[in-house]
Amino acid sequence: MSSPISPATQIRRTGRRGFPRLRAALLLPMLAFALFLAQLGQARAQSAARVTVNEMQSGSLLLETNEAGRYVEAPRLATDVSIDVNGPTARAQITQAFENPTDGWVEALYVFPLPEESAVHSLKMIVGDRVIVADIKEKQAARAIYEQAKREGRKAALVEQQRPNVFTNSVANIGPHQKVVVQIEYQQAVRLADGRFSLRVPLVVAPRYNPADASPIVQTADLRDGWGRSSDNVTTSAAAAPIDTRLAAPGDGSVNPVTLTVELKAGFALGTVASLYHEVKIDRLGETERRVELDGEAGAERDFVLEWAASESATPDVGLFRQHVGRDDYVLAYVTPPAVVPTQNSSREIVFVIDNSGSMGGTSIVQAKASLDHALSRLRHGDRFNVIRFDNTMTKFFSDSVDATRDNVAAARRYVASLDASGGTEMLPPLHAALDDRRQTDGLRQIVFLTDGAISNEQQLLDVIAARRGRSRIFMVGIGSAPNTHLMNRAAELGRGTFTHIGAVEEVDARMRELFEKLENPAVTDLKATFSARNVSITPALLPDLYRGEPLVIAARMGEATGTVTIEGVIGNRPWKVELPLDKAVSAEGISKVWARRKIADAEVELTLGGISRDAADARILRLALEHHLVTRLTSLVAVDRTPTRPANVPLTRADIPLQLPAGWDYEKLFGIRAHRDAGIDEAAEAQEEAWDAVIRREKTQPALQATPAAPLPLPQTATPAMLHTLAGFCVMLLGLGLFLLTRGRERVG
Amino acid sequence: MSVWPMPGDGGSGQPRSLTILLAALLMAGGVFLTGHGAWIHAKAVVAQILLERAFARSVATGLPARPWGWADTWPVARIEAPGLDSAAIALKGVSGQALAFGPGHLENTPEAGEPGTAVYAAHRDTHFAFLRHLKENDIIRITRRDGQVATFRVTHMAVARWDEAQIDPHAPGRHLVLATCYPFDAVAPGPLRYLVYADLAVHPR
Repeated sequence: MSSPISPATQIRRTGRRGFPRLRAALLLPMLAFALFLAQLGQARAQSAARVTVNEMQSGSLLLETNEAGRYVEAPRLATDVSIDVNGPTARAQITQAFENPTDGWVEALYVFPLPEESAVHSLKMIVGDRVIVADIKEKQAARAIYEQAKREGRKAALVEQQRPNVFTNSVANIGPHQKVVVQIEYQQAVRLADGRFSLRVPLVVAPRYNPADASPIVQTADLRDGWGRSSDNVTTSAAAAPIDTRLAAPGDGSVNPVTLTVELKAGFALGTVASLYHEVKIDRLGETERRVELDGEAGAERDFVLEWAASESATPDVGLFRQHVGRDDYVLAYVTPPAVVPTQNSSREIVFVIDNSGSMGGTSIVQAKASLDHALSRLRHGDRFNVIRFDNTMTKFFSDSVDATRDNVAAARRYVASLDASGGTEMLPPLHAALDDRRQTDGLRQIVFLTDGAISNEQQLLDVIAARRGRSRIFMVGIGSAPNTHLMNRAAELGRGTFTHIGAVEEVDARMRELFEKLENPAVTDLKATFSARNVSITPALLPDLYRGEPLVIAARMGEATGTVTIEGVIGNRPWKVELPLDKAVSAEGISKVWARRKIADAEVELTLGGISRDAADARILRLALEHHLVTRLTSLVAVDRTPTRPANVPLTRADIPLQLPAGWDYEKLFGIRAHRDAGIDEAAEAQEEAWDAVIRREKTQPALQATPAAPLPLPQTATPAMLHTLAGFCVMLLGLGLFLLTRGRERVG
Repeated sequence: MSVWPMPGDGGSGQPRSLTILLAALLMAGGVFLTGHGAWIHAKAVVAQILLERAFARSVATGLPARPWGWADTWPVARIEAPGLDSAAIALKGVSGQALAFGPGHLENTPEAGEPGTAVYAAHRDTHFAFLRHLKENDIIRITRRDGQVATFRVTHMAVARWDEAQIDPHAPGRHLVLATCYPFDAVAPGPLRYLVYADLAVHPR
């Protein structure tokens, strides 16, 4: 339209009647069609952009939250973490001071992460000169007690588990300018790997992906969820307010300071002691003892990790500890199997099986191909390998396993790159083909199975593995966001391998590297632990295979710790056995809690494996939790001050403890929008008042919501393009018809 | 739009035949698009017939039955709204392929009638078009693959973004959520979902 007079205008000017109208009629569907296309494009672009925001997790949610709530001056909080490491266990005491800087009554809510295996067992609240000790209650009951106390104006504290590694602490009725101190205690076993002991104290709630910390099975919830959007699980009826935790600006550095000390009593002569991410002061108190202190104040922005090792000569390979609680003895044993150097000439055969059925379509096949490509690139000279792909048909790339020469590997990688996802899933034939071990050579035989496990004949498949596994080890690699974990776990367990979950393309490298480190070293297999005493409850119930550097850690409860425990296994193909006299066990603290926490984890595992029903698992978890005073998904700790402190007619408002952003997150970037919005408001007091109003309004409107889940369940796209296509089709047809008529009309006139 | 050969350009033979060709192409394209729209509906209807058979077989044998040889999923439940005379056979999983044929049962949610929240999703213009007519206290009946029938009563409806839906698969009690896209009359796919929440009224039997 840049020319001053377009041909179309010219015609209209010349005044040939009839055509302009026709042209208008023609333009209309054209416009409509263009509009449709634009709308379609827009809708796509919008949903695509939203997805990315969601994959970045927290960012988007935070902005939304802040738009609604603006800036609220939240209660100040100081956190002190004090940890006593006593041999195999660590007892942590987290003390938090909540201070209400406002003139109103507030409820404070603090979200805090803890190590996955931590047993939270104690909550104390200090109000003025009184100490209130919490009781363990069923989750619903605890919530009800807390809510009642809140209504009645009493001070109350409630610790709930949101996910196995995320807890919340709510404190109700903190008066104007008042301070309440809350102390939480938990117990955990220290981690031992590759001869190094370690202790992790997570200080940030954030979507965390940390390969070093991750066990093979990683819940997608962890990746999806995070930042101020986990839930405040509530009474069955309704009323759930999502935890919207405001962030403290960097300049506000002192808002959420953390001090941390570790009293390390290793029980052996210490070699190096180091903090991985924080500056610390380390005092040497003796041959076996250290005192570690955070240098200055650290913000809660990065996990604290302390590692220690024994001095060269003193590296222990066996540890045995006991604790007497009630009428029972609890025993904790660490055994590091002797290192066996893999014999270089021992041959290894590795068969890769990749699922390229229709259900793998989209990102799954991309992840699977990337994983397999990575795996192929790690093959070493001397390995033998094959690649099998399957949908409802199957192809063995080589008719039999071949040497991993450069040419063979390159050919296999090209083949894998060419695979597309389509067709049904017939997993039995490729499984039979992979298990076919007629050549019966010695050495390792490993099968790496990449699939989403979308099949119906699970049991048949597992039966085949059980019957034909022979010397083969099966390593399941679960692809996609929701692989069939039940099948994967069971197959890996029966196939005496491991289950690796790859939920995103970015995880491929790290996860496959971990897997290959296992594949390349002989494992300790067929582990058995036998106690000479009777009525011993051991955890874990199923002893896993051990890979390089991993110790066997077992906890047990028994009447009286006497007699021996015998541990047997096979390293490579040599039997291995060690016998430990229980009366030599050293007494230590917290073992009963560690045992109970592991028993609870066992029940969850058995539930996922389908060994017990949900009701049975719940009953078992509840019994253990109540008996050992532990916070679980079914139980919470609640403390209520018996004397009411808030006058009945003064309204309670609620504020959240500002969370600090993890190191590396840019405050300005995240909150640029809000800063802009607030720029016009000079009166800080006014802003605050408004914000409080917003908080109260939100509280009032939210009870309409259904109980909030820990992680929003993503719903699939459920709109077909049928209507769009039909409408667009009609428009295009109309357009064509109009054009046709126009030409005909022109002809007749001309 | 001046690039388009307009009929007023002078009326030589060349542009006119080009225009007619364009018109023919447009009409053909229109027919194709319309046909594709119709195909989506046809697939949704025909697949349900095959699914109905496979589901009956599945209930009888107690084993999963594939509706057709190359299918990568199988029927797991029949969802009925007796008040609206609507029913659909649901498939395992919610991949795009499966949803073309029937509602999908979301992975990681329990079976209908078991503790927790069972979630089914389907297209708003085919299998779950009836959701817009459901009201509070309406009955939804789910026949499971084991032949047991769980009856639910609608408690409320809600609209939420696809990634912010208030659904807890492990909520205490036994619940059901039917999900579809919202708004019902929109033509382009969007981020909103319409959710029908229901609680168990009669235990499966």
